[in-house]
Amino acid sequence: MIRILNFTLIVITGLISLGVYRVAEQARMTAIELRETKTVIAKENQSMTVLGAEWARLTQPARIQALSERYLSLNDHPAAQRASITQLPPKFATPPENAIRNASAVISQRTPVVPNLHAGT
Amino acid sequence: MRTSREAANLLRGRIAIAALISAIGFSVIAARLVDVMVLGSTAHRESSVVPALKRADIVDRNGALIARDLPVADLYATPAVFWDPAGAARQLAGVTGADEERLKGAFAPKKGYILVQRGLTPEQRDAVMQLGLPGLDFLDGHKRFYPSGRTVAHAVGQVDSDDNGVSGLELGLENRLRTQPDPVQLSLDIRVQYVLEHEAAEAMRSFHAKAAGGIVMNVHTGEIWALASLPDYEPNLRTLQPGDSTRNRMTQDVYELGSIFKIFAFTEAVEEKTISLDEPIQVTSPYRLGHYLIHDFERLGPVLPAAMVFADSSNIGTAQIELRSGPDKQKPFLRKLGLLSPLKTEEPEMASPLYPRHWETVEAATIAYGHGISVNPLTFAAAAAAVVNGGTLIHPTLLKHPEAQHGERVVSEEGSQTMRQLLRLVVTNGTGTKADVPGYDVGGKTGTAEKAENGSYAHHLLISSFCGVFPIDDPQFLVFLMLDEPHGNKESGGFATGGETAAPAVGRIIDRIAPLLGVARRDTYVAANP
Repeated sequence: MIRILNFTLIVITGLISLGVYRVAEQARMTAIELRETKTVIAKENQSMTVLGAEWARLTQPARIQALSERYLSLNDHPAAQRASITQLPPKFATPPENAIRNASAVISQRTPVVPNLHAGT
Repeated sequence: MRTSREAANLLRGRIAIAALISAIGFSVIAARLVDVMVLGSTAHRESSVVPALKRADIVDRNGALIARDLPVADLYATPAVFWDPAGAARQLAGVTGADEERLKGAFAPKKGYILVQRGLTPEQRDAVMQLGLPGLDFLDGHKRFYPSGRTVAHAVGQVDSDDNGVSGLELGLENRLRTQPDPVQLSLDIRVQYVLEHEAAEAMRSFHAKAAGGIVMNVHTGEIWALASLPDYEPNLRTLQPGDSTRNRMTQDVYELGSIFKIFAFTEAVEEKTISLDEPIQVTSPYRLGHYLIHDFERLGPVLPAAMVFADSSNIGTAQIELRSGPDKQKPFLRKLGLLSPLKTEEPEMASPLYPRHWETVEAATIAYGHGISVNPLTFAAAAAAVVNGGTLIHPTLLKHPEAQHGERVVSEEGSQTMRQLLRLVVTNGTGTKADVPGYDVGGKTGTAEKAENGSYAHHLLISSFCGVFPIDDPQFLVFLMLDEPHGNKESGGFATGGETAAPAVGRIIDRIAPLLGVARRDTYVAANP
């Protein structure tokens, strides 16, 4: 009986040892894979760092402007040609008299040429 | 003979010992598993495969990259192990850009430890590895890279070969850049910066000026959206090219700025209620003050309304108006605006204002029109912003800070409103008409100062400037531009004054940047018919 028990325990110990060895080996292999993956990630991050800087260099306004002047027939549009959708009149509104006028006319209406000359006293 | 009881006790003891050893073994394994899987003690060792960067990125207010540490390597060689030193020199020179003759000379003795090239990029490093040469060592390091090059050179500054900040924000924000893991976000907008730099360079070229500089600042938040100084330099080269300058004229230099200082004389007069803007002022030239004669740039008189004294930039009229308050009130007022003390910003190189020790009547009169006091343009811009933003002091900043500053009140709401009307008058009817931009309601003030040379003022050496704010009914931004020693051209009618040189440039800048700043045009159906 004792011998059977001893033998059984030895077999169990052996099996457990094998199991531990297998787990340890798997862990070792996984650690190697993890290290390699981390190295790859670090290198990719480094590449992204370099590429990000390169992208910033390629998209800097001075370069875009130079390329635009060289290859595109685009010009700076004066402020008078700019508007946004929110600045359009309501759909059915009747435009008041002289609604469309040049900017300087509007400016002279909105800001008196001679300001409030009594403000200082 | 052992009895069966003794044998059983012995076996029990052995089993206990085996169990104890197994338990200890499993405990060790379990502890290690926890260490590896939960605590991750090996992670730090493994993450050091690629060296961590030393300084944080610098980005503009929209996240565009301004400065970044890039991984580079220094390459060293041990020539003693080369079979063919001359061939190795040729190959290494080919892929690293090093001087082949220098390498040949250094490798020839076949001894020592030779620096081949500094700052190799990862691609160059791979190319060197492909050569398969023995006796090569790489020393990992970093190199600060500025994608925008010259465009933001003065504001951002640069680092030395050890990656320590030596100028500009690289020095001013040294601790933050060393410790903060996230990028440092500036108030600068790289697009606005480019426009400012481009127009300043165009004006400098067009008027053959010695130097130029400009500032775009939000008058409520104090954020500097752009800061340019020309000549500039290429920060990636680490050396200066002919004509380059590392001097930031907007912060490091002080100037007698001339008539744009009249903004403060009139603000003081409006606050002190010493003038009525429609009262007639005698501007007969010259105006005698003790032993001194004060002149105007052109004959304006004999009489002008006080408002037109400002709009036409009369020195004579401004001096008389200032003397109603006198030096006892002028000096504290300028001090309150921050014009008599060094400005504190993230930029470490900030020049202190220069002003007379004895501040009497004559000094008060000349300071009123911007002579006799020297400040750097950024200090001037901060004070001018306080005048137009409703009257509260702001502290200029180069860090993104989109919330309005509510600083000390230095000018009343009414006084600020009156000054905005006067500044608009300069652009509609005065010396600054060339700065007008339809739809953006620009207000501003011109300045043309004579530079001091050999103890007196030289009529041909000018500092011409324009300070514009827009939209004038509710100013959001201030645009300042200065030209050092401009010369008149055909376009300016031969004049080199601020109104003919800097004002049109400011107008062009506002025209280009207003959409980027989110300032809508005012001359629309909706705006005209609220």
